[in-house]
Amino acid sequence: MFFFKQSKKKKQMAKNQKKQNQNQIQSQNQQQQAFLSTDLDQNLQELQNIYKNCMDVVFRQFQIGGKTKAALIYIDGLANIEEIDAGVLTPLMKENHAKENTDQFIHVNDILEQKLTVSKVKRVQTTTECIEQISGGNPVLLIDQQSEGFALGLSNPEKRSIEEPGGESVVRGPREGFTESLGTNLSLLRRKIRSPQLKAKSIKIGEYTQTEVVISYIEGIAEQTLIQEVEARLNRIKLDGILETSYIEELIEDNPYSPFPQILNTERPDVVAASLLEGRVAILQDGTPFVLVVPVSFYSLLQSSEDYYERSLISTATRWLRYAFLLVSLLLPSLYVAILTFHQEMLPTTLLVTIAASREQIPFPALVEALLMEIVFEALREAGLRLPRQAGAAVSIVGALVIGQAAIQAGLASAPLIMVVALTGIASFTIPRYTAGIALRMLRFPMIFLAGTLGLLGIMLGLLMIVTHMATLRSFGVPYLSPMAPMQGREIKDVLMRAPWWKFNTRPRLTGDHKNIQRQGPNQKPGPDYGDDKTSKDQGGS
Amino acid sequence: MGILQRVAKILLVCVNLILLSGCWDRKEVNDLALIVGLGIDQKKDGKIMITVELIAPKAAGGGQMLGGGGGDGGGGGGGKIVRSGTGTTVADAISNLQEKLPRRVFWGHTKVIVFGERAARAGIRQHLDFLSRNPQARLRSNVLVSKGTAKSVLELIPPIEQSSSEVLRELSESQLLLRVTIKDALQMLSGDTGAAALPMVKILPREKGAKELQTIAFTQRTAIFKKDKMIGDIDDKLTRGVLWLRNEIKRANITVSLKGEKGNITATMIRAHTEFVPKYEKGKWKMIVKATTEDDIILNGTKLDLLNPKYAKMVEKELENQMNKRIRDALKKVQKEMKADIFGFAEIFHQKYPREWNRVKNRWEEIFPTVEVVVKTKAYVRRPGIDTAPQGLPEQEVKK
Repeated sequence: MFFFKQSKKKKQMAKNQKKQNQNQIQSQNQQQQAFLSTDLDQNLQELQNIYKNCMDVVFRQFQIGGKTKAALIYIDGLANIEEIDAGVLTPLMKENHAKENTDQFIHVNDILEQKLTVSKVKRVQTTTECIEQISGGNPVLLIDQQSEGFALGLSNPEKRSIEEPGGESVVRGPREGFTESLGTNLSLLRRKIRSPQLKAKSIKIGEYTQTEVVISYIEGIAEQTLIQEVEARLNRIKLDGILETSYIEELIEDNPYSPFPQILNTERPDVVAASLLEGRVAILQDGTPFVLVVPVSFYSLLQSSEDYYERSLISTATRWLRYAFLLVSLLLPSLYVAILTFHQEMLPTTLLVTIAASREQIPFPALVEALLMEIVFEALREAGLRLPRQAGAAVSIVGALVIGQAAIQAGLASAPLIMVVALTGIASFTIPRYTAGIALRMLRFPMIFLAGTLGLLGIMLGLLMIVTHMATLRSFGVPYLSPMAPMQGREIKDVLMRAPWWKFNTRPRLTGDHKNIQRQGPNQKPGPDYGDDKTSKDQGGS
Repeated sequence: MGILQRVAKILLVCVNLILLSGCWDRKEVNDLALIVGLGIDQKKDGKIMITVELIAPKAAGGGQMLGGGGGDGGGGGGGKIVRSGTGTTVADAISNLQEKLPRRVFWGHTKVIVFGERAARAGIRQHLDFLSRNPQARLRSNVLVSKGTAKSVLELIPPIEQSSSEVLRELSESQLLLRVTIKDALQMLSGDTGAAALPMVKILPREKGAKELQTIAFTQRTAIFKKDKMIGDIDDKLTRGVLWLRNEIKRANITVSLKGEKGNITATMIRAHTEFVPKYEKGKWKMIVKATTEDDIILNGTKLDLLNPKYAKMVEKELENQMNKRIRDALKKVQKEMKADIFGFAEIFHQKYPREWNRVKNRWEEIFPTVEVVVKTKAYVRRPGIDTAPQGLPEQEVKK
């Protein structure tokens, strides 16, 4: 107990230190909260101080019409230089001398309305705003004698083109995927859902990275309480920086100690659009193609977008196949170990004799043998992911040999076990979400241990523990195993089967006060009657 | 308390739970002697000798032959080993056997239990008791009696199957004759009747040119037990009659010939049911046995067109007579001569007339042979096969 107490004290000290750090950061922020002065030189001096030792920041000073001093500040590479030349510098510097203005004073509004051929312009009043815009890639135009500047929407960061996402490929369905650019991603979403009810709220996260994060939802479908909860959790994040949505995921999930992902991540705009239409909330982040969707249940992690694009009967069969192989990926190696060490009577005699014969030369007990080969397989998988493409082929050939024929001939593993390992590997990849698959794959190691010590009893214990744990999980307040536990009759048709679209009359129930549940009109089922008079009359009436 | 500490404590408890409870019954599959058949014999001096047939995984999987310990297994059957052990009881004999085996005996895959004739005559209850007490042994194993010693049956090297035990199991499962599991045997022995019937196997004479031991044992007779001691056996024809009386008949072919017609007609049974109606009147016990069967004609050697209902009726009549005769023969032998109630009449009477039966239950052995049995048989010919008329016969000769 002594140890625990001490560690508590240490923790408190650490907390205090953290607070002090935060205070320092805040005071720094306050210093920059100064308004721009009317003196251009003073403003430039201040900005140059801030951007000391930043060789990529360009300060371009020029005169408007040869009279008024002005300066353009931008970051090399982030701003579109051709646009700056054509839309800002050219019109301003070549101001008409003939139309001599008797007035020495230049009207800011005139410049804005007559000279700047830039579509997106925002006024900035403080140094902080200036810095924000410059860092975001937008050039800032400062003019002498003016207490405000213009942030010009001319940022042009390097972009990747839209490609099919590698992790979630489909046979039938849209082939576009999100990119690293937030603007592109939002436009992909907007193209799918054109209603103005699609909202996108922006938050900046990361003290230093100042990363733009967008909460997107459909107003009227998504519950207000849910949106508030998402915003509250995101606002709580105080971090130096976030580079991927996984940072956010870990900081906002309900149960951080669980191996199961409680937030869905996807690269596919159609998955996000479908989730939004079901009343879920999406979290997009600049700089990563992975978008988070909350709340989700365990079953939605087992669903592929293609389930909804394929015919319903076939999708239903595919889903059951997935459920079966989910159990295989979790249990097969442990069943092998348990049966071979404790319950030899459970196999047909012929099969047992064959397995026993192949194990005759193996020096290890089944437990060690299974663990060894499973670990080797995991290593192969991991290596296969990280390999440079040129070395990939070599390693996969060697890997296939090592885990296959050679291991048997060397007397390290038996042929049935190799089959078990291979089947388990295949099974874990039938789960469409990589994160869910990997969670189950990792859980099979404790299961193998339990099977090797307690037999089938141990497997039952392990399964009970896993199910109990899953039943306690929540994703943004929604039970992880819903709609199976707690049972929600109407939604089971999207878990035990994939009902045809004309059956999905209601949206899933994600929170308690669920009012706007109707998802489609009545009588969507196609049939000989619906094509003609009956429906057309109905439509005419409404 | 922080969550990490809590998790650590729970983990500690879990690890201890697993490690302390341990793997006390852990046994690798390669440390087991997989026994597929068990034979129990009684020696002349009254000692029990058990013979086990086990599968050697190496020989079975790797193609490498292992010499048998009991018989010379290396002759070409391969994969199986036969070993014996002796002792005053079965358990004793097993520990004696274990001394000669490098691997632990494992009963989980035992398919058949064979009693030698001498052991069967001496009583099988204590052996069955051992097997039903053992958690590894299966109550679904088949129980058989062998004509000679059980050892001689188990050490045979069957040409088709991997082991003799497998041969015996397949034969039992075919249900042509009696099929009895340990559970059935125990139920029969503990029932009201105090009699039991077990299938009996005999070694098939070797074919010309086959090596020594290269043959199988086959079920051909039925051993009749009174209490737990074997008192005699009946042949396969009588056994079928017994199966009718036990309502256990599953497969049978009956061949009949009609009066005034040349040639035979063979019918195969597709469904059969036997009903028992017990009667007790004025101190007399009476049993009405109603046996019904539905048959298909599979062979027609006569010139009759069986689509004609008249001829079909004639065939049905003849089938009924045949069945009746078979049942009567079985009754005559088992009820009158052996006086063993292997049909379970005692239970039927007990259920219908509990009070009356209780009065005579101690004298049942005397009463059983005097029970009057009325056999009523009924046969239906359902289908004459896909060809209706007699085949290979000019049409004018067929009797329509």
